[in-house]
Amino acid sequence: MAFAIHVPRINNNDDEVKLAGLQIAVGSRVTKGQIVGQVETDKAVVDVEAGNDGFVLAILGEVDATVSVGSVLVWVGQTVDEAVPLPQGTPPGAVSTSSAPTAKAGALLAEHGLDAAQVPASGERLTVADVERFLATGGAASTPSRAAVPATASKVDSVPDVAGELKLLKSEEKGMLATVTWHRDVAVPGYVEVSYDPAPWDEYAQTFGQQHGLLLSPLLPLMAWRLVELAAESPRLNATIVGSKRYEYAEVNVGFTVQAGDVLYLAVVRNSAALGPLGFVTGLVDLQRRAAGHKLGPLETQGATIGFSSMARWKVSRHIPILPPHTAIMVAHAVAPDGSGVLGATYDHRVLNGSEAAATLRKLCKPPKAP
Amino acid sequence: MNLDRASIIASIKAEIVKIAATLDGDASDLQPDELIPASGYIDSAGLLELIGWFEASYDFRVPAEEFTVDNLGTMDAMAGYLLRRKGAA
Repeated sequence: MAFAIHVPRINNNDDEVKLAGLQIAVGSRVTKGQIVGQVETDKAVVDVEAGNDGFVLAILGEVDATVSVGSVLVWVGQTVDEAVPLPQGTPPGAVSTSSAPTAKAGALLAEHGLDAAQVPASGERLTVADVERFLATGGAASTPSRAAVPATASKVDSVPDVAGELKLLKSEEKGMLATVTWHRDVAVPGYVEVSYDPAPWDEYAQTFGQQHGLLLSPLLPLMAWRLVELAAESPRLNATIVGSKRYEYAEVNVGFTVQAGDVLYLAVVRNSAALGPLGFVTGLVDLQRRAAGHKLGPLETQGATIGFSSMARWKVSRHIPILPPHTAIMVAHAVAPDGSGVLGATYDHRVLNGSEAAATLRKLCKPPKAP
Repeated sequence: MNLDRASIIASIKAEIVKIAATLDGDASDLQPDELIPASGYIDSAGLLELIGWFEASYDFRVPAEEFTVDNLGTMDAMAGYLLRRKGAA
């Protein structure tokens, strides 16, 4: 069982404090009473202590960042590889919204082109402080439970006994680490695969592209769009597990992998089902273009509820993808050396069974009748 | 970057060859008027990478409505489009 170290209150007037220091790292051992960090306001600095012996599983704040009093700062487990608990009663990716913004908050939202529904409120009304916190965290505040994705790099918590140098991870590398760690520690992944004749899809995409004068082949976006349609028909595909319940997302947010140089992005097309096929294709191409220029915004790289990936360009015959956090299925497209198409799917077996995943792939193998 | 048509095409080709090489392809035979998407040397992701490089290298932005085969489908078209955008054509 994991134990939380909460952000302490320094005085009655400050509901937020600055994380001034941390003396721990993920994977390090702590003992009861050990000082793990400091928080401060403009009036005082207070040490934060561990309440139990154990290993640091996750740190949910960064030095110099603002953290909310009472929120979980550190998860400590009895073993180094224990899973980090999800926040109670908060569905993954859910936005704790519905609070009306104050006038000033409304103006600030408009200034940044944001919708009140994107920003979580800390109280009954959405305040300027809420919006500023949202902006300061690059939108991460909209997905509180995603911050609880375990961040343990590996079960090795000490430097190997061979000379070397520790390097800090880039932000996208941290994202990849969080994804594979969720996949490893939380999901129960299975994998199924089918082969298919790619000719009908190729023909369909070519006709679609010609009809709309598209520069890029719309093949993969159209296959991803078909997945959107299937997810809209079968909510279990667009779901995850929270506690002992299935959480079915209200929107289909497709995460589509985009390789941009050395960086692999999961570009997210939000509320995909509302776009229609052409809107989805052009929207995804726009995301891909901005990914190629490393110009994606925070909301365009998080909140995926389902995933699609292709490694056809790498000429691999099999591609077993990692599940993006809090998704039930990630479809992988590839082309085998003999030219046949291959569709695989990694699925979270807590949500779907193998036959459901296979049935989804079989439906994806064929395009709609006419573009 | 040099805004001479031949230099632009040479730079574009060098970038295409580089992208194609990452896909185990050799695009050194690509012709200036050959349709890039249909050439088979680079795929859609590679084409996006190429356009991203094109914008960054020449410090301009291709609007979504001009993201067409006519403007960007060949190396020759890309060079002509760039020169028009820069007012040098």
